Amino acid sequence: MPAIAGPSSSPQKHVVGSRSESIGGVRSAEVNTSRKRKLRSDSAAEVSATVVLPVNSISTPMKWKSPRRCAVSIPKTSDEEIKEDSNEKLENPVISVCLEVKSKWNPKDDEQMKAVKEALHVSKAPSTVVCREDEQRRVFEFVKGCMEQKKAGSLYICGCPGTGKSLSMEKVRLQAEEWAKQAGLHCPETVSVNCTSLTKSTDIFSKILGNYESGKKANGSFSPLQQLQRLFSQKQQQSRSKMMLIIADEMDYLITRDRGVLHELFMLTTLPFSRCILIGVANAIDLADRFLPKLKSLNCKPLVVTFRAYSKDQILRILQERLVALPFVAFQSNALEICARKVSAASGDMRKALCVCRSALEILEIEVRGSIDQEPKGPVPECQVVKMDHMIAALSKTFKSPIVDTIQSLPQHQQIIVCSAAKAFRGSKKDRTIAELNKLYLEICKSSMITPAGITEFSNMCTVLNDQGILKLSHARDDKLKRVSLRVDEADITFALKEIRFFRNCLL
Amino acid sequence: MAATPSSKAKTFQSPNKTPTNMYRKSYLSPSSTSLTPQTPETLTPLRRSSRHVSRKIDLGNDPIDLPGRESIQEINLTPRKRTTDVVAETLTTPKTKKKKKIDVEASFSPISPNRSETITKKKKKKKRVYYNKVEFDETEFEIGDHVYVKRREDANSDEEEEDPEIEDCQICFKSDTNIIMIECDDCLGGFHLNCLKPPLTDVPKGDWICQFCVVHKPPPLQGKKLAKRTMREKLLSGDLWAARIEKLWKQEVVDGGCVYWIRARWYIIPEETVSGRQRHNLKRELYLTNDFADIEMECVLRHCFVKCPMEFSKASNDGDDVFLCEYEYDVHCHSFKRLAQLVDGDSDSDQEWNGGKEKEIDSDDEEESVCADSKSKRGLTGVNTKGRIFGVEKVGTKRIPEHVRCYKKNELEKAKATLLLATRPKSLPCRSKEMEEITAFIKGSILDDQCLGRCMYIHGVPGTGKTISVLSVMKNLKAEVEAGSVSPYCFVEINGLKLASPENIYSVIYEALSGHHVGWKKALLFLNERFAEGKRIGKENEKPCILLIDELDLLVTRNQSVLYNILDWPTKPNSRLVVLGIANTMDLPEKLLPRISSRMGIQRLCFGPYNHMQLQEIISTRLKGINAFEKTAIEFASRKVAAVSGDARRALEICRRAAEVADYRLKNNNKTAKSQLVIMADVEVAIQEMFQAPHIQVMKSVSKLSKIFLTAMVHELYKTGIAETSFDRVATTVSSLCLTHGEAFPGWDILLKIGCDLGECKIVLCEPGEKHRLQKLQLNFPSDDVAFALKDNKDFPWLANYL
Repeated sequence: MPAIAGPSSSPQKHVVGSRSESIGGVRSAEVNTSRKRKLRSDSAAEVSATVVLPVNSISTPMKWKSPRRCAVSIPKTSDEEIKEDSNEKLENPVISVCLEVKSKWNPKDDEQMKAVKEALHVSKAPSTVVCREDEQRRVFEFVKGCMEQKKAGSLYICGCPGTGKSLSMEKVRLQAEEWAKQAGLHCPETVSVNCTSLTKSTDIFSKILGNYESGKKANGSFSPLQQLQRLFSQKQQQSRSKMMLIIADEMDYLITRDRGVLHELFMLTTLPFSRCILIGVANAIDLADRFLPKLKSLNCKPLVVTFRAYSKDQILRILQERLVALPFVAFQSNALEICARKVSAASGDMRKALCVCRSALEILEIEVRGSIDQEPKGPVPECQVVKMDHMIAALSKTFKSPIVDTIQSLPQHQQIIVCSAAKAFRGSKKDRTIAELNKLYLEICKSSMITPAGITEFSNMCTVLNDQGILKLSHARDDKLKRVSLRVDEADITFALKEIRFFRNCLL
Repeated sequence: MAATPSSKAKTFQSPNKTPTNMYRKSYLSPSSTSLTPQTPETLTPLRRSSRHVSRKIDLGNDPIDLPGRESIQEINLTPRKRTTDVVAETLTTPKTKKKKKIDVEASFSPISPNRSETITKKKKKKKRVYYNKVEFDETEFEIGDHVYVKRREDANSDEEEEDPEIEDCQICFKSDTNIIMIECDDCLGGFHLNCLKPPLTDVPKGDWICQFCVVHKPPPLQGKKLAKRTMREKLLSGDLWAARIEKLWKQEVVDGGCVYWIRARWYIIPEETVSGRQRHNLKRELYLTNDFADIEMECVLRHCFVKCPMEFSKASNDGDDVFLCEYEYDVHCHSFKRLAQLVDGDSDSDQEWNGGKEKEIDSDDEEESVCADSKSKRGLTGVNTKGRIFGVEKVGTKRIPEHVRCYKKNELEKAKATLLLATRPKSLPCRSKEMEEITAFIKGSILDDQCLGRCMYIHGVPGTGKTISVLSVMKNLKAEVEAGSVSPYCFVEINGLKLASPENIYSVIYEALSGHHVGWKKALLFLNERFAEGKRIGKENEKPCILLIDELDLLVTRNQSVLYNILDWPTKPNSRLVVLGIANTMDLPEKLLPRISSRMGIQRLCFGPYNHMQLQEIISTRLKGINAFEKTAIEFASRKVAAVSGDARRALEICRRAAEVADYRLKNNNKTAKSQLVIMADVEVAIQEMFQAPHIQVMKSVSKLSKIFLTAMVHELYKTGIAETSFDRVATTVSSLCLTHGEAFPGWDILLKIGCDLGECKIVLCEPGEKHRLQKLQLNFPSDDVAFALKDNKDFPWLANYL
């Protein structure tokens, strides 16, 4: 991994260094897998793609559930990593060197606050994409190879949201243009399309064509696709031999019912005189396998590059990289670390990590402002940075399941419904109709001498509970035949309603 | 836009023109008609447009240049006595309005230097008489008419200069009314048909462009050309203003005379909007603003005609003073709104004429409210006798004092009015924390110079004040923009329910930002350019944009691309877009694709259901000052609602209904009632009405035979325990019931019909009637409900035995 070792000359060297051993093991595993994958995807025609899948399955996004169950849902690898690291953490706590070097940060200063916020904003692209050097290099090598040999090729990039795919592609594009200039080749024409912004999926061909034939007369009788196909199947003059780099972001929006568009798009690269390098970007790992089975038989299956969800170290490094440009220190290093750990355990989504940091910053801002308002003369704590407790507050705001609070703040009748639902689904039965649930509800009401609400009111309340994510209503023509199922854990309900004495008997 | 009127022939012999000529002359007669060259006016248009851009500067400049101008005014325009007779026989009625909510706005008026002065001056005045139609200088002005209004700054030059009533031909520089004139579609110049080379005999169809515009050369100028610009030219170059008359009234002045005033609603030309003139703007296009001013009749020059696109395309033969207005322009939010119908309908809805009982109204307190903020520069229009400056009231704060209304409301009626859902509350209790959070979020995003794009998702059950909180935050922000502490921004509000399809949101957003309606595909392209690539729509769209989408969950399409695009824009650099989404569903982000929820960020705000304390506070703040409810009654209503849904709308509805019930009760037994308050019993009745299911009321009111039929069904159900029964069996039971209790058995045919009728009401589920005896029947509601409905029946007390 030379690429990773490279940027460690940056000020947070010590952070990486101190834990190099522990990370080393994980890293080497990563290297191995990625190498293996490369080998396979190079010979993709023979090796079934299903073998690749298990390696990546860790990075599939998962739903965040109630906090009490999060320990179970942490992926295995990161679980081990955390344990390993936290042990080491206790032995030699990291003391940031940069804290001494850099000037003090004053959160009361609007300018400085603004600078920090800007540095943490999603829209601000960092000048260098750290932690994605390997993937970038592979994509770039692919593009370079295609351009050198003047042959067409296709590449598919997949990965979870917020793992820097689009950002890296932008960098690769610039890199490729730079390289072409230096190598004396024709600068490739690039078409970057975000497929969500297309009004119709076939529009992508006219977009490609429009870029390719700028100035040339449009051929009215053929569709843009046919024109492109003709263009690439005939031998062309030397002047038109420019390569074309097509980057299709969010490619799965091109999936039509018959998969025609996606198929034709990839088929363009197989035409004899095709000059396009196609890079598709999407979330699904197996998009190419699922939707393009024909390509495999034609031996032109796209190369797959996977952007894995960020690990905690990567998130930490990216956050530090963003903050290193600032002339002051705004975050305590272990605050950043806990953010990185939590986010990587949940989804590895960089956007989320940035949001959490920002909200921690806002919590600090409110705190500082409050302290100014309260005691203007009082002693001001000298070092006000975002500390652990701010970060923990922000994290809990983000990841905490609000279910218990929601149930506790429900109106009483809705609580009775939730209670009766919890009772109804205690057995093996998974769903019931509204009428059945109503019967249970009436029973509880009767036993506790409460006037029950009517059936229409009842189904209204069920809809509200559905909106709040507590019940799940299926669609049905008749109100009473709608099937109800519980969407929260029964344990949550009992925990939430335990506090209220009224329900203690009902739930037994 | 493509279907705009082509070449408009200007036939000046048309009869509708002549009266204008006449009054025009008579208007000009008192003033000296010396042809002094016009003063250079490069400064004025700038000043005027700058009002929208930076209010602060304007306010600062105000006192400096005012006195000078006023003195000029006074010298030049000593009060001229006009012969103004009023068309009084039909319409000299005082103008009142429906009670319009007096908004929170009163506190927002920015500090204007001359405010106190105006108020004191105004206090001296006594009488105001409102008219619907006024004859002034032999011309009738009616409410809803469009007029040219003098700009104050160049008032003197206007006075001395003769405005050419009839446009000159651009070639022969004569105005001959007998020859047909044709208008160039590019420069709007008029040409006599026979002056053209080669001369035309007819007005050609389609666009016609004059010879000068073809070669892009301005037509030759003659000496008098500059001095004799038509009003249309002046208006379009910003030297005149167009306005719509909203109110007309006569006011007595201290020295005995009386002055006619109008309330004008301004039109602006495209150059004055935030996006400037764009390619799609027609030459004669104007925008209606929400900016009002009170001006004197003296500054009104004459009529012009502002038409909606439909009428405009027909009005190819109406002369030079025809303008097109398709959009309303919000001068505060800098957004455009398409006018549904320009013709009168929109503003008259809140005005109501009240039979001629009172003609003169003492309206001191109204004046105060009107001149509460005199921030607008347009308040400085035209001739103001004695240099008095009248302020401009805000939109939606037309205030008519209570005592103007002929009918005095009693406490209960007042309570009913304030409890209406349509009535905006003066303050929003119990939501201050959420509002603070929203304010902090918006300010945090737009206060920075660079404006980082962000999203916020607001969720909560219905009736918990989500939308109203956001709107009131925006209103507060608007006030701060006017005060200058917040930089201006665009605000676009969209309700997902009002969109024909989710994709339409693109064209709605684009229309609001640019005032140009395009299809959604094109709009998406433009918006992508604007937000993703950072291009600008207009000339100066540097402002941050706040997008409020109500009912966000309705934008979820099958592949969710609409939401993706909208939530992706804030993550782009230079987008300067802040998105606020409101929906009921708590877990909408989790239901969406992960890539969308990743872009949505983590900013959430939950509006929980109100508890009974909060509901009680909401109702009692609404009813502040009105003594109509017993305290326990309010508490009872709020407790009932809080137990079921916590919906504030419902609590208000119950209280309003209870007030109606109490009103009815008090009217019926006027003597016996001890207090005039709404008591618990009324609330109880209202709650019964609201919460009781409609089917019970239907069952209570069905015919006698149907009741017996239903009883038989319930009885059958009890006997067999099977929900489904056949008509055969029910009929047998009915006949036995009838026999035992001495009722006449109606016969099978009628019974069958009754069964079908009950099936129609969906009280009973039944098969179609042709099966006769084998028809299967089933109660649609639980038998308890039927029993409850039929138990205390006066006609058949024996029914209860079988239930």
